[in-house]
Amino acid sequence: MARNGHNRASASQEVNPDHIVSVKDFSPDTLRNVIAHLKASTSFEHLVYREAELDAIWTITGFFLANEPASSVHDAVNRLHAGAQKAHDLVAERRPGAAATVLEAFL
Amino acid sequence: MLSREENDLLTRTDAGTAAGKYFRRFWLPVLLPTEVPTPDCPPVRVRLLGEDLLAFRDTKGRVGLIDEFCAHRRASLFWGRNEECGLRCVYHGWKFDVNGTCVDMPNEPPEYGFGNKLRTTAYPTREYGGLIWAYMGPPEHEPELPKLEWARVADNQRYISKRFQETNYLQAIEGGIDSSHSNFLHASLDAFRVTDSYVEKVKNSGTLRAKYHLLDKAPRFTVKKTDYGVVIGVRRNAEEDRYYWRLTQFLLPSHTMIPYEKGLAIHGHCWVPRDDQTCWVWTISWNPEAPLSEEEWKTIRDETFVHAQVDPATFRPVRNKANQYLLDREKQRTANMTGIHGFASQDQAIQESMGPVVDRTRERLGTSDTAIIAARRLLLQEIRELGEGREPYTASHGDVYWVRSASLLLKRDVEFDEGARELTKAEV
Repeated sequence: MARNGHNRASASQEVNPDHIVSVKDFSPDTLRNVIAHLKASTSFEHLVYREAELDAIWTITGFFLANEPASSVHDAVNRLHAGAQKAHDLVAERRPGAAATVLEAFL
Repeated sequence: MLSREENDLLTRTDAGTAAGKYFRRFWLPVLLPTEVPTPDCPPVRVRLLGEDLLAFRDTKGRVGLIDEFCAHRRASLFWGRNEECGLRCVYHGWKFDVNGTCVDMPNEPPEYGFGNKLRTTAYPTREYGGLIWAYMGPPEHEPELPKLEWARVADNQRYISKRFQETNYLQAIEGGIDSSHSNFLHASLDAFRVTDSYVEKVKNSGTLRAKYHLLDKAPRFTVKKTDYGVVIGVRRNAEEDRYYWRLTQFLLPSHTMIPYEKGLAIHGHCWVPRDDQTCWVWTISWNPEAPLSEEEWKTIRDETFVHAQVDPATFRPVRNKANQYLLDREKQRTANMTGIHGFASQDQAIQESMGPVVDRTRERLGTSDTAIIAARRLLLQEIRELGEGREPYTASHGDVYWVRSASLLLKRDVEFDEGARELTKAEV
């Protein structure tokens, strides 16, 4: 199987930690895909990719919070935004399993 | 994003800081030999890792790098006389040799014998690869010189420039490994808009970069940890069955290489902390096979690519923050993205616009920032490991720097590191 950092559609659910998950939204499908990759991550490179994905989730949720202040899901997205940051920091501590657990709370 | 603690850890390099200790495990470029051209020539001020130093070439041609301020009353030795194998302070006549030993103390009675017992801060230097390097760490950990290809070519195959930049070193490195910015910051308007005329122009271009680089603005990043640091593989779509790969190396502690295309000159940088707010940018162009061609010299002279014209005394670029980098709004409206001439000035302008030390707690990164994340994590890991007593592997293994950047077309099912294995070996 080719590695090369190919992005994969989040719906594909193909788990290869050498791939960067395409984070286009913060849907349950995307979160599941990121969580699955977190659980399979072991190397320096894997953790770099996971950090990039969590950065992307944090960024996208941040955009949502800024642009949709009256949204009915504002509080939930705010919690996910904070959760993504926590998961990001756990990956920085080389604890991808703990980061996955944090994200699972949002499924 | 980084935490504030991580950002501080990475960006503070004064003596006693964790990153400062890390940088002090490596030989660092400090001077062009032309700055101290002849024995007993005038000394020059050098600010490096937050320390104010003075460089001088003594009567025997040895280069000394010592504390700028006299050990006696802290007067600047810049005003001193470079004479008979030592630099003499003009205030009370104390004289220091290249090793920092006080070899004369004429205002003290000789029977006191203070002279040879007193030393000022002095760092060893080496002349290597067209530069003067210094090592500012503990003598027992003196590293190997990095076996960089550009340091091994003949002088006429290499050009090195030095410039002063008003940012922390890390911002500069991050610019050097961020492949996706070149689709924007360095693009002509035609390239940015991918106009029909532009596509027609590059379709049959002889260089891969011209042909493929600007046609895919959302490249995919792959990183691989190596003995020397990280290799960053950046993939863009090319023909249906091929990808265009650009391989950039980040070599510890702060060297980078721009993807090389066979037959052209190679370019690289070394980004050295001057202090936390400023850095020295060393830019190297070299041709591993032949003397630099007239066309390559023209690119250097015209400042269209990685070199920028500087004030020869201060190394401050002619295009700088104070004059808005000679920004031409008409050129920006009609010709290129920035209205600023030359890649080096464009990089410097945008990096300095972020402030001296960017607040990385406020970033919004995406997957196109993978290379930056990798470099930061590797540096953090190395800095923390040194703090725990583990010496950096690269510092004592100069051979690991024997690599070359690359750009090439590969079939879509070929791993970039396998496909580029031969191309990324240095050869000189």
